[in-house]
Amino acid sequence: MSFEPVVRLADATRVHGDGPQAVHALKGVSLEVAAGELVAVMGPSGSGKSTLLNLAGGLDTPTSGSVTVEGTPLTSLTDKERAALRRRRVGYVFQDLNLIPSLTAAENVMLPRELDGVRAGRARREALQALAEVGLEEPDRFPDELSGGQRQRVAIARALAGERRLLLADEPTGALDTPTGDDILRLLRARCDAGAAVLLVTHESRYAAWADRVVFLRDGEVADTTEAELETAR
Amino acid sequence: MAIRQGLLALLSRGPRYGYQLRTEFEASTGATWPLNIGQVYTTLSRLERDGLVASGDQDDQGRVVYSITEAGRTEMERWFSTPVAQSDRPRDELVIKLAMAVAAGAEVRPVIQAQRAATMRTLQRLTRTKRASTDGPAQTLVLESMIFQAEAEQRWLDHCEAVLAASPQTQEKQA
Repeated sequence: MSFEPVVRLADATRVHGDGPQAVHALKGVSLEVAAGELVAVMGPSGSGKSTLLNLAGGLDTPTSGSVTVEGTPLTSLTDKERAALRRRRVGYVFQDLNLIPSLTAAENVMLPRELDGVRAGRARREALQALAEVGLEEPDRFPDELSGGQRQRVAIARALAGERRLLLADEPTGALDTPTGDDILRLLRARCDAGAAVLLVTHESRYAAWADRVVFLRDGEVADTTEAELETAR
Repeated sequence: MAIRQGLLALLSRGPRYGYQLRTEFEASTGATWPLNIGQVYTTLSRLERDGLVASGDQDDQGRVVYSITEAGRTEMERWFSTPVAQSDRPRDELVIKLAMAVAAGAEVRPVIQAQRAATMRTLQRLTRTKRASTDGPAQTLVLESMIFQAEAEQRWLDHCEAVLAASPQTQEKQA
């Protein structure tokens, strides 16, 4: 496993507007997520969680500081290059599932890969593999034929299909009951153990507790970080 | 303490030796309430005195089998059907600490944040145990109970922080 983190924010600041009306959404946040790591971000609304996730995924750029994904500094890229890196390297999972209702589970997972120029045959093979990895046994069903938990599995498969290993998850358990939410975290944890890097935004501590590290944001700054205790060798 | 009723519940599945009861009690509660064998025999002799269990004759190894009586079954059913009263739980030091911090005009936010980080570490440890657990559903339920309690504490801390941040009294102090 390489020591280079999959994503690194260094002293990242994001200011919206300027002058007296300027809003400091994020103030000098540094954060790294390595392959195999699950990092959770907690904080009240307005604390900068979404800004942090948007910066990490290249949906937004920092006012100062830097964001590096898989060794590539995002600030050095043109918008077009950034969009390409986002498509190839970063997967997203949201609370609202954003699956396309008229496409099957497998087709939903294939779509971003096909948009990226991967041929249909290969995209389907990758999709079936990704769906098998998340334990979905009905790849040809449509989203409304699946349960909420199964649909979220499809979204996770889509996020990690191909060569992507950075997964940004924004309240992925939002609409799920606790056993199903736990299943989703168990799955994210398993994908981490298989080499993915997961940055999870959640307001529920029971899900954050699955992380190796929990970062508490307050007013755009890191207020505290807790590491999971190292397992003692027995 | 629920040891009496816990032993009755185990005996309701059939006669048991004392040491068996101890093993099964700990297996069901994930060793959250370790029992020593002395407690088990003391409790059994009180249950016998109260007519809730009956003991058999000693076998050639000196072991005695205990079984539940009809009165014992009634007691166990009464226990299962009676909710636990909120007031039976001990007073919570954290609640008193935060109330006193507010009353004394101390800075409450660091107290909340320190507690939140500590409780999160506990939650992370419990979740690791849950992930690694291959034990039966009884033990998992006990773990889940501790997870839900820690989670409730976190939610209460978030609530306290939000309420205090919005209160003009505490805002003055933080400014």
